[in-house]
Formats: sequence, structure tokens, C-alpha cells
Amino acid sequence: MDQANITIPLDLNGGRSELEFERPRGISHLEVRTGFAQLQVQEIPEPLLDHRLEVLRRLSESGISIDFLKFTQEGLSCVVAQEDAVRIQGALEGVPGRVSVLPDRSILLVHAVNMRDEEGLAARVVSLAIASGAPLEQIGDMHDRILIVTTAEGAVRIQSELEKSGEALAR
Amino acid sequence: MKIKVMKFGGTSVATPEARGQAALRVVSAVEQGFSPVVVVSAIGRRGAPYATDTLIQVLKEIDPTVQPDARELDLMVACGEILSAVIFAHTLKTMGRPGRAFRGGQAGIRTDDVFGNARIVGINPVTLLRTLEQGVTPVVCGFQGVYLPDGNWLGGELTTLGRGGSDTTAAALGAALKAHSIEIFTDVEGVKTADPDYVPRAPTLRQVSYDEVAEIAHLGAKVLHPRAAEIANRFNIPLRVKSTFSSDPGTEVVRTADANKRGITGVTHSGKLVYLQFDFGDVEPDHLRQLESSVYAMMARYGLNLFMMNLSPQGIGFAVPREQYPTAKDLLDGLVIPLDGPTSVVYLFQIGQVPSREAETQAELLGPLGTIRTVRIELTEGCTMVSLIGAEYLARPGIFYQVLNGLASEQISVLQTSDSDLSLSCLIPESELSRCVAYLHDMFQLHQVG
Repeated sequence: MDQANITIPLDLNGGRSELEFERPRGISHLEVRTGFAQLQVQEIPEPLLDHRLEVLRRLSESGISIDFLKFTQEGLSCVVAQEDAVRIQGALEGVPGRVSVLPDRSILLVHAVNMRDEEGLAARVVSLAIASGAPLEQIGDMHDRILIVTTAEGAVRIQSELEKSGEALAR
Repeated sequence: MKIKVMKFGGTSVATPEARGQAALRVVSAVEQGFSPVVVVSAIGRRGAPYATDTLIQVLKEIDPTVQPDARELDLMVACGEILSAVIFAHTLKTMGRPGRAFRGGQAGIRTDDVFGNARIVGINPVTLLRTLEQGVTPVVCGFQGVYLPDGNWLGGELTTLGRGGSDTTAAALGAALKAHSIEIFTDVEGVKTADPDYVPRAPTLRQVSYDEVAEIAHLGAKVLHPRAAEIANRFNIPLRVKSTFSSDPGTEVVRTADANKRGITGVTHSGKLVYLQFDFGDVEPDHLRQLESSVYAMMARYGLNLFMMNLSPQGIGFAVPREQYPTAKDLLDGLVIPLDGPTSVVYLFQIGQVPSREAETQAELLGPLGTIRTVRIELTEGCTMVSLIGAEYLARPGIFYQVLNGLASEQISVLQTSDSDLSLSCLIPESELSRCVAYLHDMFQLHQVG
């Protein structure tokens, strides 16, 4: 055996010679992405599915990339790049429903690795975000993050609320 | 010393024949100049005599109404891997290759104190290295470690790592031992473009990035646990997923920059979910935020995991795992939230269009208090999540339209969506799962991926 590259730790009780392997539980960090607009199409009449698809088709044909699509009870909402916001009204002219575009939105990403192994974590973060009083246009979740569409100021307020509550751990 | 960590899953150690094939792979690695460290799961899958679920059932059968302590459960389920490691080490010996079984703690794996879902906080690999120096192959019990209450090995408590724990053990040992590579052996040929149960000819991906495989694993593929992918990525250890029972080279997991570029990598599915959509149409605008916050705070307090969350002025929505739905129902059906302000209103929550006995009784009792407004919660049981995994492709204009229009043309209804940098997920009725996976696999021509 070639032992040239072996380092045998001498501290049998662990400690300094050990590596850290897994990221800590809970929130690992917060990230704010700016430069978005929130598109909301509300009061879409029946047939809802057909009209939702019509909105998406128009956006697609106009070359507008969307993120964070959510179906709401009578419509849909999504996020677009701020520079695409001015094109939306034209793209969606005449679609059934009430179209509104909220400019200058940010997405606050609350990162938490393996979030779904931590029971109740997502609900706790959203509850605190709502309690912060920040305007929340939309929320979403993936296995490792919660996404909150808000204003730049709202992102700061939510961040502060999370830190105050001890949910945002020191990096 | 070129250390190779070789992890064998439950089906790879389920029978003497399977163990023989797995052990041959270890012997072959030695002949190729590697120093293998073996990690094993419990023998067999659900229903097998020593499988994790069977062992849990032994405790639960004593009295189904009494939940076993998490500490005792960990001791019980750890028996499955201990048996497996000892049997595998002895199998190696019968083939002329000395092997020695180690519990997680004996292998130096130290965890935090969360029984049943512990995370590895450190590994001292000295015992394993010394064993390798003696020319003996260590066979380590996957899925377990030890929590040291006072930082002292004396009195250490056995812990288990939760779902996919053996993969995590393998990856962490690979990092601690500065391994040349990690091989995850399973009963399929590697990471597939879709679940072969739904797409029988789904090809094996020859190469995926750590990020992709972590996303695939998080969103349902059971071939590799995401925690293992994250550790391998962090420590930059080559990782390969392959079959114990075939000569197929399997799937190589590499850094994102080195990975093959492709549009969509695969289709996954996960979760048995129940979707709840709250109608806040009759809620006073002043009360909206308080009501939303109260609902989420309650879900948090009782540890419910929420998926596909969304909100709008008309209401909020989320899905909960099916096993957590009874708790959600207990909390929400008949829930009363009185709110003050310019208008004092008592809100009564009701699941479904027809009030349950609880909701009806609450309404009768609250009648004398004045204004009661019902918050209806639309319930959709039997849901699941289907996800497309990809990177830049999912950011293209029109991807949502392409997917949703396609599914609509197949009469597959989509209740909600969510997306990230690497994936796009749709919540659909579970009854449509098979058709949905197969359709999306065809739509993106994933038969041609490899």
C-alpha cells in the first residue's frame, strides 16, 4: 500500500482533526434578486384553463420569459424581468381578465438545505414573512428554498423579521 | 492507497447470490489496486425479514397506539444494517478476502442528537484507515452514527441518518478518507431519465452534474440521496451510480462545468399529497394578513410540511403530505379565529362544501356571538408532483406554455406549479401520474438522451 497521502488523525475523541460534512439545519442564507416585475392576471372568466393557456401562449409568442408561475383562484401570476414589463401590456392586450404589472419587485430566496426534512420550517418562514408586514405578492417553495416576491424594502423587512426570530442562522 | 468507497443497497445484499455478486465486485476492486471500504444497507426492501420497515413494525405491533421513542426506534432499525454488515464481512471472508464489520459509531461517524434524522457533524476515520493498513476490508453499517452527549465516546448514543442514510454514509466516508471515488451500487443501471416503472425503456444518463443529480433525487428519484450528492460535490469526489448485477458502466456524476449540456435531463415524480385551497373571498381586507399568518403559524407549530405554496388576494393554497393530512384536518376543520379591528368578525374554517359535524357544531355554538364568516377550504386528495429537471432550457420563453398546453391536450389537469433554476414541477392528480410522466418523457424526446 502506498501510504504517502494518508493522514491519520491523532485526536481519537474527534474535534479539530475532523471535517464538517453536512450543512446545518434550518436557514443557511438569504439572497435577494432584483430587477423583476410581477404580472397578475385576475378575474379570468370561464373556461379558466383555456384562458390561462391563452395568456401563457401570448407571453410565449412575445418571447417573454416567465418564472414563478402560480395559478390563483381566478387567474394566474408570474414574475418577468423588469425590462420585459413594458411589453406585457401589448402582448396581453385583449386577453380575458384584469392584467396588472407591479414593477420593481425583488425575489427574496430563503435557502435551507433539505428543508422538507425539517418539519414545519417552510410554514414558519412564511408565517414570519407575513407577520413582518412586508407586501407579499407571491410565495413559492422548492426542496431547498422558499421564494417570496416582494419589494426591495419588503425583502429587508422580512430578512430582519427572520433574523429577529432566530430563524436566519449565522453564516 | 487508492481508497474506493463501495455502497451496496438493500437489493444488492438481499440474497446469498446477490451478496456473492456484490462481494465479487469488492474482490475485483482489490485486484485492481484499490483499497475498498464497503457500506451496506439493511438486507432487502419493505417486507423483508430484516428490512427497516419490518423492524419498526415489530415494535409497533406490541401496541399500535403507543409510539416508540425515537431513541429506541433508532436502536431497533440499526439492527438491520448491523446484520447486513456482519453477513457481508463474513461473505468476503468465505471468498478469501478478510473483512471486518463496523457500526457507524465504530467507524468514527459522529452525528448531532436528532434521533431518526441525524446529520453527520464529523468523522474520525482512524479505525478504518488502520483496518485498511492491515489488509482488511472494512464493512460499515450505512445509515447510522453516534451522538456523543458530552463530546466523549463513552456513553455515545446510536443515531440514524434518516432517509437515504446509507448513501450519505458512503459520501461522507469518501470525503473523510479522501477517497479516489465513490460507487453507489443498486438494482438499476444508473440514474434514468424517468422511473422505469412508468417509462420502461427510459435510458440511463451517462453523465449528470452534482446539481442535477441532487435535484433529481430531491424531486423523487430514489437512486441516490441528495445529501450524498451534496457531500460528494462539496468535497469534489468522483461518484458513480451503477448496478450490482450488470456490467453497464452506469452514471458518472461530475461537476456542472464538466457535465454534458442538454435541454431536459429527466422527469421525476414524488409525493402523495393533499392540496388545500383556502377561499378568503369573504375576509375583511384588514384581516387578510392576520388570517394568513395564523394559518401558516399553526401549520408550523404542528410540524406540517407544505408544498406548492401560493397566495393571492382571494386566498392561499398549499399541499401537505398525505400522512400529515389528518393533522391538518384536525387543525383546520371547525377552526375558529375571531379578529378585531374596524369590523369584528368570527371566522369559521370549513373543509369541503358540506360542513362536517365539527364545523356545524361550531357554527351553532358561535351563532349568538354575531357575525360569522365561513372560510371554505377546497380539498383535492390524491395528488402528486411531476417535475422536469433541466437548467438553461427551463428559462426559455414558452416552456410553461409548452408543458401546460401539452398536458391540457392530454386532459391531464394541473392544479399548481412551482419552479426553480433547475426544475419545473406540476401538481397533478395521482391517477394521471403514469400518463403524465410518459407524455413529458416523449415530449422532450428523452429516449434520445444518454
